[in-house]
Amino acid sequence: MFDTIIIGAGPAGLSAAGILQEKQKVLVLDEYFHAGGRLLGQLYEEKKGKWWNGLEIARKLVSDTQDKTEIRLSTSVYDVELDDTYTVHTTSGTFRSRHLIIATGSREKSNPLPEWDLPGVMTVGAAQVLTNFSRVRPGDKGVIVGINPLSMVIAMELGYADIDVAKICLPPENLLSTQKPEDAFETLVSLGHSAPSRFISTGAGLAGKAKPIHPAALKLFPKNGIRAMGLPISIKEKIIRINGTEKVESVTVQKTDSKGKPLNGKTREVKCDFVCISDGLAPLSEIGSLLNLKHVYAESLGGYVPLHSEMMETELPNLYVAGNVTGIENAKVAMYQGQLAAHKILGDEDAAMRSLSAITHERKNAKVKFHKDLLQGRETVETMWREIEKRKAE
Amino acid sequence: MTDRIMNHKILGTIQPELVPFRWNGEIIHGAEGESLAAALLANGIRTLRRHEKDGKPRGIYCNIGHCSECRVTVNGERNQRACLTPVEKGMDVEQQTELPHLVKGDDAHV
Ligand SMILES: Cc1cc2nc3c(=O)[nH]c(=O)nc-3n(C[C@H](O)[C@H](O)[C@H](O)COP(=O)(O)OP(=O)(O)OC[C@H]3O[C@@H](n4cnc5c(N)ncnc54)[C@H](O)[C@@H]3O)c2cc1C
Repeated sequence: MFDTIIIGAGPAGLSAAGILQEKQKVLVLDEYFHAGGRLLGQLYEEKKGKWWNGLEIARKLVSDTQDKTEIRLSTSVYDVELDDTYTVHTTSGTFRSRHLIIATGSREKSNPLPEWDLPGVMTVGAAQVLTNFSRVRPGDKGVIVGINPLSMVIAMELGYADIDVAKICLPPENLLSTQKPEDAFETLVSLGHSAPSRFISTGAGLAGKAKPIHPAALKLFPKNGIRAMGLPISIKEKIIRINGTEKVESVTVQKTDSKGKPLNGKTREVKCDFVCISDGLAPLSEIGSLLNLKHVYAESLGGYVPLHSEMMETELPNLYVAGNVTGIENAKVAMYQGQLAAHKILGDEDAAMRSLSAITHERKNAKVKFHKDLLQGRETVETMWREIEKRKAE
Repeated sequence: MTDRIMNHKILGTIQPELVPFRWNGEIIHGAEGESLAAALLANGIRTLRRHEKDGKPRGIYCNIGHCSECRVTVNGERNQRACLTPVEKGMDVEQQTELPHLVKGDDAHV
């Protein structure tokens, strides 16, 4: 019997373990063969010359926990039950605990397009892990489908490893993919001062100063895209299919007007040997569903999240959530959320409040922001939580 | 020719320890402890599986255990996710292939 079991050895789970282990018997479970979660592939410049090297941070989190916490890797959790205690069923046996933290992170969304099942087509995160963690090239020349903060950051990372990115464009429009040039443009602007978008305020001189989505700015955006910080970004081109027999050989690119409408006859092929599809991230909350938690849909959080309080509590006793399962944000926020959940479990309210203000501070200053309306999404969940608590009290 | 990123501007240099393992009976090398998916790609192998139904090639997709596109047979055990399985010296890895059609018979797809 453990005091606390933590599902997920990412930044949230390991940060929680670091605090709990001083007072409790703790077990961390993860299905990957290396602890660190999605930190392992992360690499970006936070300030000039100051790098966020996720692999190094993951190593530190592991060295801080491996002596006092039991960390079981290559272990998938496939069911959880609650009676007096939590029973966690895994591929390496069943474990029990008094408290449970769900820190399962997020998954990548990717919408299909013709021939997306060819070898060489992968999510942008797959290319990130190959390049920065496995140190194996995803290919020699890639095309990225989808313009969002994650695909931009990872395009930069491919560049640091001297892997050629031929194009970054939009997906074809269909029932699932609705991204339009103006959405992509807004994304680029909202990346603020992070490197890939610097061209918007300086280089191309189109926006940044003015209101972001000025139609004139969109019209002016060059038809063939622009090259900024080494990234060939094109918001008036869509990848409409992938070509190849046994593996990726090229993509077909369709030119569009500034509203995203295809221009007749304007297609061409671009040769490449890998394609990354990227439609953002979504919380991975199957464990919460197994426990029948209420879920709230908030687009700005990435999709359905288990109903929780800002103190990481859930509707069930001794059950906490932390990290991206509560909504898509960067790894620093995940770490503070993990610490917050741990302080709550230990009943240290002062420390919990300090973690909460660290989260608020990081949210304001985050270098990588995944959604512009994040705070609204957080507000929606918190309001719903309070209403339900109020009803319970009555 | 190598497809490994031995030198990286920011992450520095690595010197992976290569060990032999078997892919479809043939001996190839991977870095001990890296994922099978990465090791196979470093050997130029992109097709990890043939689709059960139509035999079409499939490769790495999400690379973090979520999509199960990369499943292979490891030491006789089917459906192991290559992206979650670390390379061990001497392990025996095989590609999974198209399955016979139980109702229409083997020739259904020819
Ligand atoms: C592909 C990808 C790339 C990303 N890149 C960036 C980036 O460059 N910059 C950035 O700021 N953010 C990035 N993120 C966001 C990222 O989610 C956060 O930065 C941070 O890693 C979240 O931490 P976490 O601890 O909540 O989850 P994670 O880091 O995702 O860790 C969760 C862990 O739980 C494990 N797990 C999940 N389900 C189970 C189960 N059923 N059984 C056992 N183990 C399980 C997983 O294997 C994983 O190791 C990325 C996310 C993804 C999915």
